[in-house]
Amino acid sequence: MPHSLRPAERGAGAFGESILLIGPGAALLIGAFLFPVGQILVLSIVPPEEGLSIWTNFARFFEDDYYLRVAWRTFRLSVIITLVTAMIGFPLAYVVARTPRVVGYTLLLLTVLPLMTSVVVRTFGWIIALGRGGPVADLLSLAGLGARDATLLHTETGIVIAMVQVLLPFMTLTTLGVISTIHPHLEEASRTMGAGFYRTLRHVVLPLSVPGLVSGSLLVFALSISSFVTPNLVGGVRLPVMAGAIYQQATSTLDWNFAAAQSTLLLAAVLGLLIPYLALTRRRHG
Amino acid sequence: MSFLELSNITKRFGTFEALRGISLSIERGSFVSLLGPSGCGKTTLLRIIAGLETPNGGSVVIDGSDVTRLPPEARKLAMMFQSYALLPHMTVLDNVRFPLRMQGSSSTADQRQRAHEALALVKLDHLADSRPRQLSGGQQQRVALARAIVYQPRVLLLDEPLSNLDARLREDMQIELQDLHHRLGLTTIFVTHDQEEALSLSDRVVLMRDGAVERDAPADEIYDDPGTPFAADFLGAANVLKVLVEPSGVRLSNGQMLTIGQAPKNGEALLILRQEDLSLGEGTLSLDGIVEARVFMGTRVRYVVRVGDDTIRVLTDRDQSAQPGDRITVGFSPERARWAR
Repeated sequence: MPHSLRPAERGAGAFGESILLIGPGAALLIGAFLFPVGQILVLSIVPPEEGLSIWTNFARFFEDDYYLRVAWRTFRLSVIITLVTAMIGFPLAYVVARTPRVVGYTLLLLTVLPLMTSVVVRTFGWIIALGRGGPVADLLSLAGLGARDATLLHTETGIVIAMVQVLLPFMTLTTLGVISTIHPHLEEASRTMGAGFYRTLRHVVLPLSVPGLVSGSLLVFALSISSFVTPNLVGGVRLPVMAGAIYQQATSTLDWNFAAAQSTLLLAAVLGLLIPYLALTRRRHG
Repeated sequence: MSFLELSNITKRFGTFEALRGISLSIERGSFVSLLGPSGCGKTTLLRIIAGLETPNGGSVVIDGSDVTRLPPEARKLAMMFQSYALLPHMTVLDNVRFPLRMQGSSSTADQRQRAHEALALVKLDHLADSRPRQLSGGQQQRVALARAIVYQPRVLLLDEPLSNLDARLREDMQIELQDLHHRLGLTTIFVTHDQEEALSLSDRVVLMRDGAVERDAPADEIYDDPGTPFAADFLGAANVLKVLVEPSGVRLSNGQMLTIGQAPKNGEALLILRQEDLSLGEGTLSLDGIVEARVFMGTRVRYVVRVGDDTIRVLTDRDQSAQPGDRITVGFSPERARWAR
């Protein structure tokens, strides 16, 4: 068993050194993540009145049509946002990986540049672009897809457009990481064997990019299901999403226990996706 | 017109001229090697034939039709890559079936049948359900070969297919390639930097240098009479001696005079002597020199001998022996001498 020999081979002080190196990260993780999350879990099971079941807060969520609609909207929008970013991000990542360096890096820079600005600033930009008289609405009415004074502000379409732009870099970068490991010879071989450009993309590049697309999708889905600023500003009060509803609950009605219950459900939804994925990739690599 | 006609192909990468006007005619069913050092343009030329690069000038004509502007998928050629380029997400059988599937000419059952036949031809049918990464290098290589021949391509292009194999496997594969060529009769173009491989496999060797054809001749002819100093050096590392041809004979750099028939006109010339045509001791013609080094190579011994300003290499049997520093005579017969043109 070569694995069991490893720690001894690294020398006697290695264990202490490892603790030292992992210390700051571990402290941050425990103090700033695990502790607050634990607190939320505890809060979520504290019933509003003494004597009620610990599931009261959760039951309230599932019994109220309003919260279920918010949850369904959040989930549905996140799925759409994930699909759209994948459909834009995959070809973009492919082009970045396969064009000459200068072109590829310029494209990549343009994709990543928005990450350097505040999400609030970007979202206000979208409010202007999507609003009445803004360029996006104008284009749509020009194409005959909307009334002259149409607006995408306070619509789900508007939320999707703004969110896709915010999250595209995550999908592109994750997929790019995988595509750049695909040897160009594979595509060339496919071409010489009679598959045209698009069929090569479909039968060779796409299947080999799946790991990148899956981890990119998980990242984008997790970020969009819990996103707060963009859906709130673009969607407004008429289209609340879960993060917004939690915020309302915690700041306006000061119902921390119910807010905690919703947060727990959101966390469970993300973990429900992540854990099977991790198990799947472990099996593939193992 | 030949089966495959390349006329005046040029290719530039930025300011680098990779190919400077290559013209070649290749007959149907022949086995041609493109031989040369790295950077000579041999792989670029192969990629132009495959359609993976577009030439800046010239034309590629296959079987009477101009394919210069056709994309690779429309050319009905097969190319085998140095990296084998097996698709890692498919089984061996699906890899071999891939070209049939993409060309969609027959039913799935028929495609599978043909893929099995091609695998049987390279003796790998028992691994049909494996994944490429479970195979050894040699096995992957045979899968790539099976995939290249499964659909009767018009031309089989091989890009240094043996260079990733160890010596023993490479010999086996050479024999297998030749055998396959005889059985299937595919027009084959083989790119290599290994002169021995080129000579042993192909009917014809096209020696390339700096984007141009240096020499284009049948394998035995190019070996016996390399013609240029570069060819002499590249094909079997022959000795090239700068000599002065005078009315009375051929003068070496050490002042020795030799009488060699068919010498070119008077003046400076290059004399080509193959290492294995020389031996230690007196011959019909003899060179005087000093042994500089002795390299033991198993069945043979190579001596490096200084003759005047020139250093020559002599490949002899083991029973001839001399030590570094010894004054010796190197003999050869005049009919083995060649002249560079």
